Amino acid sequence: MSVPGWAAELAAELDGALVRGIVTCAVARPPERLRAVLAGRLARNASTDVGEVVAELAGRAPSGVEAQVERAAVALLRDRARVLAVGRPGYPPALATAWPELGAPAWLFVRGARGDGGPAVAVVGTRRPTADGLRTAHELGAFLAAAGVCVVSGLARGIDQAAHRGALSAGGTTVAVLGTGFGVDYPARDGRVRAAIAEAGSLVTEYAPGTPPRPWQFLWRNRIISGLSEAVVVVEGLTRSGALHTARLAAAQGREVFGVPGSLHAPASSGPLALVRDGARVLTRFDDVLELLCTSSLSSDASGAAAERSHRPPEPTAVDVSPAAGWVGELLGAQPAAPDELAAASGLPVAAVLAALGELGGRGLARHTPRGFVAGGD
Amino acid sequence: MIGRARTVAVIGLRAVAVAVEAHVGPGLPSFCVIGSSGTAAHEAALRVRTSLTDLGVALPARRVLVSLAPADVPKAGARFDLAMGVAVLAALDVIGEEALATTALLGELALDGSVRPVPAVLPAAAALPAEGIGRLLVARENAAEAALVDGLVVLGVASLAEAVAVLRGEAEVAPTRPPAAGAAPALGGDLADVRGQAEARRALEIAAAGGHHLLLLGPPGCGKSMLARRLPSILPPLDREQALEVAAIRSVAGLYVGAPGQTEPLLDRVPAFRAPHHSASSAALLGGGTGIARPGEVSLAHHGILFLDELLEWPRGVLDGLREPLEEGVVRVSRARGLVSYPARFQLTAAANPCPCGGGDGCACPDDVIWAHRSRLSGPLADRLDLAPTLAPLRVGELVAAAAGESSATVADRVARARALAAAREGAGGIGGRNAGADPAFLRRTARTGALRVLADAVEAGELTGRGYDRALRVARTCADLEGSELIETFHAMEARAHRLQLRTGNRAAALRRGDRGGAGVRR
Repeated sequence: MSVPGWAAELAAELDGALVRGIVTCAVARPPERLRAVLAGRLARNASTDVGEVVAELAGRAPSGVEAQVERAAVALLRDRARVLAVGRPGYPPALATAWPELGAPAWLFVRGARGDGGPAVAVVGTRRPTADGLRTAHELGAFLAAAGVCVVSGLARGIDQAAHRGALSAGGTTVAVLGTGFGVDYPARDGRVRAAIAEAGSLVTEYAPGTPPRPWQFLWRNRIISGLSEAVVVVEGLTRSGALHTARLAAAQGREVFGVPGSLHAPASSGPLALVRDGARVLTRFDDVLELLCTSSLSSDASGAAAERSHRPPEPTAVDVSPAAGWVGELLGAQPAAPDELAAASGLPVAAVLAALGELGGRGLARHTPRGFVAGGD
Repeated sequence: MIGRARTVAVIGLRAVAVAVEAHVGPGLPSFCVIGSSGTAAHEAALRVRTSLTDLGVALPARRVLVSLAPADVPKAGARFDLAMGVAVLAALDVIGEEALATTALLGELALDGSVRPVPAVLPAAAALPAEGIGRLLVARENAAEAALVDGLVVLGVASLAEAVAVLRGEAEVAPTRPPAAGAAPALGGDLADVRGQAEARRALEIAAAGGHHLLLLGPPGCGKSMLARRLPSILPPLDREQALEVAAIRSVAGLYVGAPGQTEPLLDRVPAFRAPHHSASSAALLGGGTGIARPGEVSLAHHGILFLDELLEWPRGVLDGLREPLEEGVVRVSRARGLVSYPARFQLTAAANPCPCGGGDGCACPDDVIWAHRSRLSGPLADRLDLAPTLAPLRVGELVAAAAGESSATVADRVARARALAAAREGAGGIGGRNAGADPAFLRRTARTGALRVLADAVEAGELTGRGYDRALRVARTCADLEGSELIETFHAMEARAHRLQLRTGNRAAALRRGDRGGAGVRR
């Protein structure tokens, strides 16, 4: 098989044939399919070296993908992306320990500056956080970044982005693991934050350039978020959410899991609370994370069994309100939130937030305290 | 032989024509002024007599009597000097009677005969055309101010000698042209400088559009004053009539006198922004002083903004004096010499810390302490406020990714459109499209039933008083106007309700706490 010029250019640390194989696999076969190949090799006790696995997978690629492969390679070159393969230099060592059984990706496409192997912590949570949760994520991101810890998250709106932004605001590094390929505007219209992360940290994906968002891809990439990190902090999330999925994977990979405690009445805190009940650590102050990083390195302990069971989230309030009021109502928790924070969290204009608060107040679903609005009646 | 000259007294903003009569007749040689009480008359006599001597007029060795009529109008100050001197000269036949028939004179005489400026020239001049007087002689420094009045020929003179020459037709003084309207931009800066603070910006816009009273709550350094100072930049400019009213008040307050370094344009179209310190006395705030009360800050802020920083630091007694002007747009000040009322239709903009510790990011004060702090704001005053946005400490500004704010021009445009809509509503009773003064009964007819129910519910829930209901209704009307909506929709009322919610003082919270304890008792 001849190796085209682009493969040599992309292959900073790999051989050109491997790069070509990786790009071909990524284009022709979703990475999820790799599991079948791997399982086969494990079953017959064959080598799980990435070169052989990729070669096998690439060999099954349908003919006629050549043009697509070329396009993907050009896109990677344009983005100045690098290609990393498990077991080869440059691949994140923390993640490599999860190969092959624990789901480490065979390859990664990386855009951005960061390449060092310093400590990393994932800060994850729901896309529909409360204002208090957003604040926690932002401050935790900034705190960790200021301490020299790389903040890993998934770039989703809400908690994830707040954590990224917090790290950026502190001038630290942050890594966003994407559920799409490069060159896809997702989350839509958040190009500025993507660019900022690529500038100060890196964007990571295992999908070929241009791969559109599909629901399962986001769940599947969560293993990379936890795998890159020594600990996972779940700020907010429902009991059946992507964030909890990440926490579960983290526990399976032997990562420490932290839950940020919240009110019993806040649906958004039900996820972290469930994690804590199942053995995750309680985040009582930001320092807890740093202390853990100092004392342990990738050792598995009691949290291994965290969060296996599922439970029902609290009953949503069954009062009929306008969509905006419902949306704002979900953001309210036990911690007071100012209308500004609610507007920022919901993306609604502040006038609409105020109208929603007036409506919720009238229905006994929101209450004004000197520090802001909280959920619940008088 | 009697000489007559005309001049004007000003009591508050009210001008009263005063006739000056001088009589030179038999009697012991003397110079006597009557019709004015106190030492002012004696001093005037000395000044006028000396000026006449300087002029080279030999006063005859007879009794010179000068009378100011009507006698029961309080006359203070030296503003009648020029008229008195001229009246004496008329009595001595130096000046012909016909030259003085339709001419008024205002000015203080210096010992060397020069004419000095006096306060309250504008309200005095404004009353002249109605009195059939078409010409006014004033000190040069006062001429521009007097020339603001239509239909009046204003001649600025430097000395008594010049005044005499003009009145004798021996000299020509070009009539003073009216000054150009002040086109100075608002000084407070542009709203684009304010980052984040979406709620406060929204409240500011509503306040500007409806003339509502505003309380900005926020920790020190979060930009409360910064925001308040930008309010004039989004208010529509004053019309000529309003600007004249404001100028008249400033004139009475003496802000135009002694013109060197006068910083304010005479006819200022930009709404005033007055920011008295919380150590200001009741007299300074509301008006007062000996004799005839002078206008206070509330009147200087007429058609503009009265900004009270650190509202909770103000003595309660002083603040309670704001109730009348807040409700009626006038302030009445009673003094021994009479009752004076000044217009005071200002827009109250106040600022306060949310908590005794300042309420910054690390504030850990319990809610009780915060409520106690808030309850220092008197309930009746709180009830007269309309909006109380909370400004975030700068942290949230970062969280919101600090989008650059809209510019003042953009917001001013929306405000102007909302005002135009309000002004076009007949019978609303608001002034210049300010819903804050609109008749609630009328506004109710422009609201959907659902909107009224929202507010009625709030009254029932104890969130609003009767007056609060009217005020919330007006705020809702302004929200609707800002959106260009004919009717007050339900969500406009809801927004108004949320704004009012944030205005609560501690009283209700205390009631709530009692309720909580009661509830807990039942559960046990």
